[in-house]
This record gives sequence, C-alpha cells and structure tokens, in this order.
Amino acid sequence: MERIHSLYLHVPFCTWVCKYCDFNAYAVLEGLIPRYVDALAREIELAGAELPIGPLDTVFIGGGTPSLLTTAQLRQLMAPVGSIGIAPGAEITLEANPSNVTTEHVDGWLEAGVNRISIGVQSLQPDALRFLERLHSGADAIAAIRTARAGGFSNINADLLYGIPGVNLAGWLESVDAVLAEGVQHLSAYELTVESKTRLGQEVRTGLVRMPDADDQLEQYWAAAARLEAAHYLHYEISNWARPGFACRHNLASWHYQPYLGCGAGAHSMFRRNDGRTERRWNINGPHAYIKQASASGYAVAGSETLSTERARGEAAMIGVRLLEGTDAVSDFPAERTQLVRAGLLAEHHGGVRLTRRGIELANQVGAAFLR
Amino acid sequence: MSTPTKLTRAISVIAHVDHGKTTLSDRLLEYTGTVAPRDMVEQVLDQLELERERGITIKAQAVRMLYKADDGQTYQINLIDTPGHVDFSYEVSRALAACDGAILVVDASQGIEAQTLANVHQALEHHLKIVPVVNKIDLPQADPELVREEIEKVIGLPAESVIFASARQGIGTKEILEAVVREVPPPTGDPAAPLRALIFDAKFDAYRGVVTYVRVLEGTLRKGVRAQMMQTGKSFEVDEVGIFRPERTPVDDLSAGEVGYLIANIRNVRDSRVGDTVTDAARPAPTPLPGYRHVTPMVFAGLFPTDSDQYQQLKEALEKLQLNDAALVYEPETSAALGFGFRCGFLGLLHMEIVQERLEREFNLTLLGTAPTVEYRVKLRNGEEVPVDNPDHLPSPSEIESISEPIVLATIVVPSAYVGNMMQLSQERRGQYLNTVYEPGDRVVLTYRMPLAEIIHDYYDQLKSRSKGYASLDYELVGFEEANLVKLDVLVGGSPVDALSMIVDRSKAQQQGRRLAEKLKTLIPRQLFEVPIQAAIGGKIVARETVPAMRKDVTAKCYGGDVTRKRKLLEKQKEGKKRLKRVGNVEIPQEAFMAVLSLD
Repeated sequence: MERIHSLYLHVPFCTWVCKYCDFNAYAVLEGLIPRYVDALAREIELAGAELPIGPLDTVFIGGGTPSLLTTAQLRQLMAPVGSIGIAPGAEITLEANPSNVTTEHVDGWLEAGVNRISIGVQSLQPDALRFLERLHSGADAIAAIRTARAGGFSNINADLLYGIPGVNLAGWLESVDAVLAEGVQHLSAYELTVESKTRLGQEVRTGLVRMPDADDQLEQYWAAAARLEAAHYLHYEISNWARPGFACRHNLASWHYQPYLGCGAGAHSMFRRNDGRTERRWNINGPHAYIKQASASGYAVAGSETLSTERARGEAAMIGVRLLEGTDAVSDFPAERTQLVRAGLLAEHHGGVRLTRRGIELANQVGAAFLR
Repeated sequence: MSTPTKLTRAISVIAHVDHGKTTLSDRLLEYTGTVAPRDMVEQVLDQLELERERGITIKAQAVRMLYKADDGQTYQINLIDTPGHVDFSYEVSRALAACDGAILVVDASQGIEAQTLANVHQALEHHLKIVPVVNKIDLPQADPELVREEIEKVIGLPAESVIFASARQGIGTKEILEAVVREVPPPTGDPAAPLRALIFDAKFDAYRGVVTYVRVLEGTLRKGVRAQMMQTGKSFEVDEVGIFRPERTPVDDLSAGEVGYLIANIRNVRDSRVGDTVTDAARPAPTPLPGYRHVTPMVFAGLFPTDSDQYQQLKEALEKLQLNDAALVYEPETSAALGFGFRCGFLGLLHMEIVQERLEREFNLTLLGTAPTVEYRVKLRNGEEVPVDNPDHLPSPSEIESISEPIVLATIVVPSAYVGNMMQLSQERRGQYLNTVYEPGDRVVLTYRMPLAEIIHDYYDQLKSRSKGYASLDYELVGFEEANLVKLDVLVGGSPVDALSMIVDRSKAQQQGRRLAEKLKTLIPRQLFEVPIQAAIGGKIVARETVPAMRKDVTAKCYGGDVTRKRKLLEKQKEGKKRLKRVGNVEIPQEAFMAVLSLD
C-alpha cells in the first residue's frame, strides 16, 4: 500500500446543528465528548501501528465543531498523532466556530501544534445568520479572526456562504470585503446548497423557503471571484481562494488523489493499493456506535469499496479538474478531453487543462465525462 | 384417456376487456379439477409475466378439462382463453376458428361494449354456438336483468339462455359447464379420415423448437407420423403430441375434435404458420382447411437500440419474438438520426407497447420507439403507386399526384349522456358520421368513418377521458381514401430529425407544428448549449422554440466522503442518460419521439 502522509480527524459535535447542514454532526451529547476522544485516540493509535503512515505532512481536524474540545482533549488526540510522526513544516488545521475562538483556546491550540485555523464565518449579515441558525453575530466572527491572529495564527481561513435567501449581491460583497479587510490568508466561498435530508431541504420542498435562482447564485459567485482576484488571491479550486503559498495543503493532497487516513465517526479514508487499485473506506456514523466499536477494538470501519484502476482514474480526473491552476489528471481521457475543449468547458493550460469560466459553472458535467 | 368424439367439446371464452373472462376460465379449471386449488394462482392461463402484471390476456391459451356432467357422462372440454383488447382481435379470430362454441361473458354492471359486439360477430361468422353469461352479478352496481335484456335485444340470444354468474365467487360455474355440454355441438370430423389439423398458434421453446398448437378437425394426429404443412409443403417427423392440462402433457394421439400440440423439431416458426393445415404426408388430405383472414398490421413504427451495439441482439430478439407473435412484422430501417433499427408493423398501439416492453424485458435491450404511423398509399405523377409506412420516406411533393390514407369504420358504445362529447371529438378527428342506434340500458352505438391516423393519435385516451371512462371502441379497416396531407419536418439543433417527421392534414399542419415544437421544448432536457427546435412544412419554417442552455451544474464542496457520493451521483445520472438518444450533438429522450401522439 502506498505510504500515507495525510490524516483527517472528525469531531462530530456541535452546540447546535444548523438547518442546512448535512455533515455527520450531532448536537452536543452531554458527557459523550470525553469517551469519544478516548475512542478516537485509540483508533489513531491502532491505525498508526497497522498502516504504512507518516511522517504526516498534513493533519486536518474537522467537524462538527472541533473547537468545542478542551485544550486537554485536543492534546489527548494529538499525542497518538505525534507518535505517527509529524514532518517538519507540516500543516495542522483546526476548524473553529467563532464563538469558541478565545485567547485561552488559541494559546492551547498553538501549543498542541495547530498552525492553521479555519473559522466558520458564513456571513456577516444579521438576517442571514439568523436564517442559517448561527449562534454567533458578524461582530463575533470578525473578533474571532482578530483573536486568532493576535494569538499567533498566521494562516487563517474564513468560510463564507453565498446564495442565501434574502441576501442580495451588495450584502454578499459586504461580507466578502469585511473578511478580506481582516487579511485572512485563505477564503472558502460555498454556495448554500439545499440537501434533501436537512430541515432547509424540507422548508424548500414545502415552499416555506425559496432559494435564489442559478443566475443570482452565479452572479454572487463571480462577483466574489473578481473581488478576490483584485485582492491578489489565487482562485485555486472551485470554492477556494488563497494568498500565494497558503492553499490548503491537506485538501490539495486529496484533490491530487493522494491517499489519506480518516479517523473518527463517519470519517472517510482513501488508500492506494500496490496493484494500483484505490480503496475507499468509511467509519460508523453514529457517535455512540462509534465509541462502542472503536473503544473495544480501535477499529470502526463500516464499509469500503475498491475501485478498478480505470474507475479510479475517472474519479481522479473528476476531482482533478476542480483545481483551477490546471491538471494532468485527464491525460488518460484524450477523447473526452478533446470534446470538452471543443465544447468550451476545458482550456489547454501548460500541457494540461483547466476549467473555463463556463466549465466551472458546469463542473459536474465535465467531471461526469470521465466516469464510465 | 381417449374420449368418444360425441363427448368432446371445443370452446372459447370471449368478452370485452376486463369483463372477467380469465377469472371465469380459472373457475372452470378449478371446478373440473384440472388445476388443484392449492396450485391455483390468479390467472392460471396468463403465462406471460407481462400478462399477470397488467391483468390482461395477450396470447390465446389452450387447456383440456374433463367434466363429469349431470347426465353421468364425462366430457372432454377444450378451452381456449382469448384476449379482449381490440389490438388482439386476430388472436380471437384464430382461437374461434378452432372451436365449436363460445362462452360470451358480459359484465353485469358494464353491459355490452364495443368488443363484445365485435367478438360476437366473429363467433357468428365461425358458426359457433354461443353460451351467454352475465358475470360479476355480486357487484353492488350490477344490473343482471337489464344486461340480460340487452343481450336478447342487441345480440339476439334468447334471454332465458343467459346464465348469471360471479366468477370471483364461483357462482354459476356448474350451470355454465352444463350449458356447454348441452348446447355446444360435438365435433363432426371423422377420426378415420385423412388428417386435417388447423394450426391456431405457435410458440417457440428454446429446447424443443416450435410448439405448434392445433385442433384436429378430421383424422387422427399420432406421434411418429410425418406431418406435412399444406401451405408451405414442408414436412416434419412428429416427436411428440400432447394436450394442455394446463401444462404440456404428452398423449398418444389427438383425434378429430381434440385440441393439443405437436412438436416436430421445427426450428423456424415460419414453417409452422398459423392458419395452415397439418396433414399426414403418408396419407395427405386432398384440400386444406379454410385458413382465416390474414392479419394485417395497422400501425408502423421504428424500433432502434439506444446503444447501436445492440442492433444484432435486437434482430435476434425480433426473430424470436415473432415465433410467438405472428402479427408482428418487421424489416430493417436506417435513420439518419437514429442509426440502424427496424421498421415494425403492429396491430395497434397496445400491441406496439407490449412488443417493445417484451423486447426490453425478455431480451434485456434498451430501445427507442418512434411515433407510430399508418401506411399511406401514394400515387405518383408517373402513375406508380407506392406504400409509405414511414413519414420520412414520403416522396417530394412535386412527384406526388395524390395520397390516400387508411379509413376505418369505428364503433363507439357509450352512455347517452356522452354522445355529444363523442361526436365533437370524432368531428375534430375528421370523422364522418354514419349512424346512431339507441339500445336498452341507456346505451348508444355510434358509427363513424375515420382516418386510422386520427385514431392512433390519442383518440382512444380522449374517448375515455371525455366519457369518464364509459366509452368503448372497436374499429375495422374498410379501405383507403384520398386526403389532403403534407409532411411536417422537425429540426433539432438545426438538423432535421427524420424520426420526428409526421404526415398531417394540411389544414391542421401549421397548428400541429407549433404544438409539436412547444411540446418538444418541454421534453428535451437542457443541454450544454442552446437548442433550437423548428417545425417545417416543405422547407418553410412554421414554428420555432428554443431549449435554453443548462445554466449551472456544479457541486460546491468536494472533500473526503463527498467524493464517493458525488461519483455515485454522477454515475447514476450517466446511467439515466443511456435512455437518451444522441442526435447530432443533442440528447433526445424517448418521450420526445412520442410527442406527436398527443398534441391536443
């Protein structure tokens, strides 16, 4: 099996599960976090002993809301990660809710080795935050960025959402500008997507909420892209922008189809076997079941699939084209490549290809071309 | 096992669709112990998966029952179950030719309907003794007395001969069997005469070859004889003769009056033609039996594999299906838009639908069917007359002297409250009013002369919906008539799509073109680019619509587990796309090719 240099840890707890969220997240289950951390530490430990993994170039602690962990709990998780081995200069990211970004927490995170923080700002508009059911204000979010920076973080990401009902183009750009004014190194702008199993999904189905149409969504997207480009951010993935040198290395690794290990409830892993086939596996979703299983055996895999070399190549191309600085991932598909270039969805770029503006708007159509 | 000829009976059950003939047949099988109650599944005789699912009979089925009657004798009753839908009336005709009597089933709440009449006329043509039964008398809305009166007045059978029954509850089963042995005459053929057996159906069995369904009318059919087909002249050694109980059961011989099957290592179904007479090559009969009217397809459509690699499979599937479906005809067709396929002739729309469904299901094909059309007769300026069953093959207007289209005599049976609606609909469809007859039970029989093309375009659905489901329809081809027709072409993405062309009445052509373009706009999914849809008559564009380009299709997040989910979603969408046919660079779904059928 190819050696793994990336690790993802999932912390599935939130103070409140927002109505649009379809991640594997649960409202804080009283008293469950300590046992969960024990179980997760156990899983990391066992994986470290059994898999060809490390030294780690990237670690990403996501959720849920990992910033809910106490400093002690975070250290407990980082101990087995340290045993796997962390490469010098590794990127270690923690996702944080603005409400949790306090001076004490920031000190503790840095001490535990975290060097990149990703803050869920989402919006600075009070109406939008209420609509999204966020428990923090816009001012809280700005304060969180400042606290992180003041505490010593020099690699900060802000997550923003566009296409929120009731937020017009000007309102959206206000949020973008305000976050840029704080000098963040990285910005992710996601379209608010209606997932059928969420409460938002239900509200849309019953007609309670009307989502903006495709034209409005794209207008906000491209307007933000223009702002960010003017501010010298590189648009390196469909929903991601970074100052030079600050692209998220953890995500880049997976978009470049590098193997990674995921630990924690519902976490996914991707391994590349010696025969060139790709294995994806995923853990048990529910935190109770996960704790039971991982504490007992250190192993919580719920399912897996192995992709043929050909199917894996298609998947690699499907993801690879999302990287806007160009990719070679489609070189195994010359016919599709030619067709997509002719259709104006892909453009030649330094021997590889990259999505055109229209290609970005129809990226799924492009990705699907590589699947059989 | 051998039964004296005077104790043999051969009957069919005939009825309008849904009046309960298959349920009645099931009861007869049960009552006579042919099928043990524990082996009884609903609709024993409907053997095709499709028949059970849809609750309709498509193929005629034959079975032999033994019945100990009140007179103490044991009778052999050969029962042939028949379909009720108008499309399959040829199956009825085939079955009736092999019978001496028919049980006529009429629903106690529906009364006489269009196919009741059509079937009775066929039965009378074959000189069959009819045993009338009013079925479903247990239903709350049943009015058996009124239906009995109707049978006497409309069909002319004495009211006192009518048996009241409920096949569902088993009421009247014995009375029906008694009437059959009492009323239906025994066969008259001489078992010692030279063999003459009528082929009324054939099925292909993968292991045994063609299984030929026959009724022996004269002489005796034995295993080991050399069977000669009197029309084709070919002969085959008979490996097995048998009867249906209802599964195939070998017997030593079939003598005059008996119904059964023969297997003779016949590999090609064309060598076992329905209507042909089987005789003994060693002692041939001098003349064949009168065959029955040749089945002529009424509607034509192209069938194309969505995946062109399946052409050969489709060809083989059609060959096999034709073994079981003599009414299906086909020949290769090439379409600029759809590639290689077959032009097929069907008895009607239901037949077409069923053939396509059977091809897809039983042979694992994915097919695209074009809109059905009738066969036109085109008289050219040079005096030649050519049949045209494909709108795209219509010669250019400058070569055409005139076009004739098939005309049917349509019989509509409907409660009087809906007569106005029926007349209006038939008028809209270029119908020529002929006659109205008021029958008892508030029933009106309307007759119209109508172009068949109008009937296949959604007429039946409209008839049903404008009569709240009460109207029933039967029709028969009466000839061809000159009409003022033009070809309507459709261009998608700028290129003509031959498979969307249609031949329409000139006065309605422009309006039809507009409606078709509008309809196609809703049926063709958005593509990566804008797709213009145009309708044209003789090169002149009469309508234009545009399918706007797909605006946006992008997933915002693609991390970790999102990848698997997204790949599976895209793979699933791709699978769905296989049902679309690529014409030029536009993907067109099956429904679009059927759009011309319902433009009202």
